[in-house]
Amino acid sequence: MSRVTQTALVRDDRTLYEAAAGLAVGLSGVAFVTGLAALLNIVAIDDPVAGLELSVLFGVVLLGLGATTVGFGVASRFDYVETGAQPSAGIVAAAAFTAIWLAVGAAVSGAAGLGTVGQLGVGVFLGAAAFATTAFPREDIGSTMPAGAVAVLCGLALVTGVVGPGWEQALAGYNATLFGDTVVPAVVLFASLVTGWSAAKAYGGFGARGRNVGAYVLTYLVVGSILAVLVGLVAFVTVRGLPGLFNGFSVGGAGLLSWPFLTNGAGLLADIAGVFPALLGTVWLVIGAVLFAVPTGVGAAVFLSEYAEQGRFTGAVEVATNGLWSTPSIVFGLFGAAFLIPRFGNQKSLIAGMLTLGFMLLPLVLITSREAILAVPDEYRDASAALGVSKWQTIRSVVLPAAIPGVTTGVILGVGRIAGETAPILLTMGGGVLPAKSAAPNVLGGFQLSASPPFVSNPALLEATSALPYQLYALITAGLSGNIQNPQEYAWGLALTLLLVVLVFYAIGIGTRYYFRRKLHQ
Amino acid sequence: MSQTDTAETRTNRTESQSVSTTTGETVEETQAEWTTYEGGGETKLAVDDLDVHYGSDHALKGVSMDIPEESVTALIGPSGCGKSTFLRCLNRMNDRIRAASVDGTVTLDGENIYQDGVDLVELRKRVGMVFQSPNPFPKSIRENVSYGPRKHGDIETGLLARLTGRADPGREEALVEQSLERAALWEEVRDRLDDNALGLSGGQQQRLCIARCLAVDPDVILMDEPASALDPIATSKIEDLIEDLAEDYTVVVVTHSMQQAARVSDQTAVFLTGGELVEYDDTEKIFENPESQRVEDYISGKFG
Ligand SMILES: Nc1ncnc2c1ncn2[C@@H]1O[C@H](COP(=O)(O)OP(=O)(O)OP(=O)(O)O)[C@@H](O)[C@H]1O
Ligand SMILES: [Mg+2]
Repeated sequence: MSRVTQTALVRDDRTLYEAAAGLAVGLSGVAFVTGLAALLNIVAIDDPVAGLELSVLFGVVLLGLGATTVGFGVASRFDYVETGAQPSAGIVAAAAFTAIWLAVGAAVSGAAGLGTVGQLGVGVFLGAAAFATTAFPREDIGSTMPAGAVAVLCGLALVTGVVGPGWEQALAGYNATLFGDTVVPAVVLFASLVTGWSAAKAYGGFGARGRNVGAYVLTYLVVGSILAVLVGLVAFVTVRGLPGLFNGFSVGGAGLLSWPFLTNGAGLLADIAGVFPALLGTVWLVIGAVLFAVPTGVGAAVFLSEYAEQGRFTGAVEVATNGLWSTPSIVFGLFGAAFLIPRFGNQKSLIAGMLTLGFMLLPLVLITSREAILAVPDEYRDASAALGVSKWQTIRSVVLPAAIPGVTTGVILGVGRIAGETAPILLTMGGGVLPAKSAAPNVLGGFQLSASPPFVSNPALLEATSALPYQLYALITAGLSGNIQNPQEYAWGLALTLLLVVLVFYAIGIGTRYYFRRKLHQ
Repeated sequence: MSQTDTAETRTNRTESQSVSTTTGETVEETQAEWTTYEGGGETKLAVDDLDVHYGSDHALKGVSMDIPEESVTALIGPSGCGKSTFLRCLNRMNDRIRAASVDGTVTLDGENIYQDGVDLVELRKRVGMVFQSPNPFPKSIRENVSYGPRKHGDIETGLLARLTGRADPGREEALVEQSLERAALWEEVRDRLDDNALGLSGGQQQRLCIARCLAVDPDVILMDEPASALDPIATSKIEDLIEDLAEDYTVVVVTHSMQQAARVSDQTAVFLTGGELVEYDDTEKIFENPESQRVEDYISGKFG
């Protein structure tokens, strides 16, 4: 650890101080992660841990963290250790602690039965006190005192059981009740975030380095928690969906895979009801939409950024495409129902769904392709022109390859959105709630040649087809019928399948982007 | 505020115009001298009364000069005097700059390249250019070099050509090697022709851009400070290359180094601030006995 200006001043107690602060940061992190686990119901707050209820243990830890945090500030302020503390913790920290203490004051006094006026009074008083404590003393006091006090207060509430597993509070005006198993983890998350930041500042010796470490810990904890929530969400669907998805799954002796959930329909004949028709429907739907939207979108983007005079016209097109991208999907669905269906045999069909979703995807592909093309440096175009290469060849061999990663990003985002769309499919593609295997679209085998125009036809494209999100929606609204053995399991399996299909499309897109990026830069 | 500004610029411009008309006679006299200057051989490029404006900014003022074929012409002058602008006029790259407007004529082999109906793609095949800052494509070194010939159809690659037997990988290899060799880059990159060109150093990229230009085999090669990012060894290789090239090609080279201009060029044009061509003559004459006091001052370093 290089501390150039302080090298001569390093003393033994300084390292002890640092170690203690490091420990406090670590403990805050552990409390934070455990709090997160409790929030996601992975651990229960009334579980006994080391002879104590988890929520009481949380309280003890927070009390300890609060006290040591204050101790760090005091030790630094009274020069037991040498730190780089600045004259003030700064206006941002002061504002944050004002808001925190205002809220704490209002909440505590509200719980104590004070009226609105009393709540406001207490909140404002505590907020002002927190502001003064943060802003006016030296940084080491300003960034530990209010933080430590928050943790101590939260710890006391948990240890005494004022807030605990059995706690509940009806929220006036919200028609809802808060329970202890939500509030306790929330309190722990919040308090440990505050002490983590404060202890990290102490660990860095306050000053510029301390702020750096503080910001680092704060961002890591927040990012970590967001990731945890996302992972939790996926894990939730996965855990519930796995039994359905792997119902009857087996690997035969010859290495033959039998996966009835993915390969069966839901007809009466199937032993194990599966989602094959809808799965295939979604896959074809996405492929069709991409095949329609990517060439048209990229072509339009090339025209708008390479050929059209930049001005009012391109500006208007840009506004219109942005507007189209934010148009609600049900409106696209209505367009499909009113415009496309009459033109494709007057019934809901796979191709109507493909085109509708293609229209939805088009604006995003256009916007991102345009940006990607504009981001290609003009030097490439100049270099190519100076070699006597025509504009179109330049676009094809230099501009578009350099723009592919950006275009792919747009397609990835767009596919994520359209693969899960329900409303447009409802209006344009239909399909049964529990389609039998025979209802699966046979697009590849469906092409037929004929002697009269249009020479090629494909009945599979013209039939009503189910898709995963639509089937899920239909299952839920239709009430789960008795035709399948375990409707709950079936529906969750369906949801997981949809998630996996989207992830597979993502993986394909990200792989493509990675391939082309490597080609450009390596 | 803006009104006075425009008024000022307007008076400035009329002033400068009136200045040029009052001194018109002397200017014309010297110009007469330049046009009689014949250099090494036949005139390849004849520039006549060329004016370039960037918006209201007059970047080149009435430049006329004849560039003889199979020789090296150096353009020197202080930064911002319009050397790159002039060079871009010779292959009409200024057309690609929105704000630029060019008046006057440039004839290549007797044909005015600024008349209507000129095919810019053909023009630039014949008048190649190496830019001031290296700008390789984000492709492999090999693809960079063979880019021009491939796009012109001189080298055929790709599936169709391979199927019909028209692809000739040997020819591509030979062209790539020869071009890189001439640009003094072959030894450094021979083992990594498939690596991305953006991974090369600045000086290597500069030589790659020279090789890329040579591969197209133009008649005229315009080089904008081709050695600005090179060490003395690579610089001297490039200088040798320029001298070699002058046997078959017409080379116009912008440089900030007087020594370089003196070493490689047959004739030198001196531009001075404001976009005027002050003197154009045999290199020896320019460096030993310039007509104009301003040129003498510039060359001896008294004036930038
Ligand atoms: N694209 C452009 N748009 C507007 N003005 C330009 C542009 N390019 C050049 N100019 C102006 O034209 C004048 C001449 O520029 P030019 O690039 O030709 O100078 P230069 O002699 O090549 O200088 P250097 O030695 O620094 O490269 C400068 O005043 C410059 O500001
Ligand atoms: Mg220049």
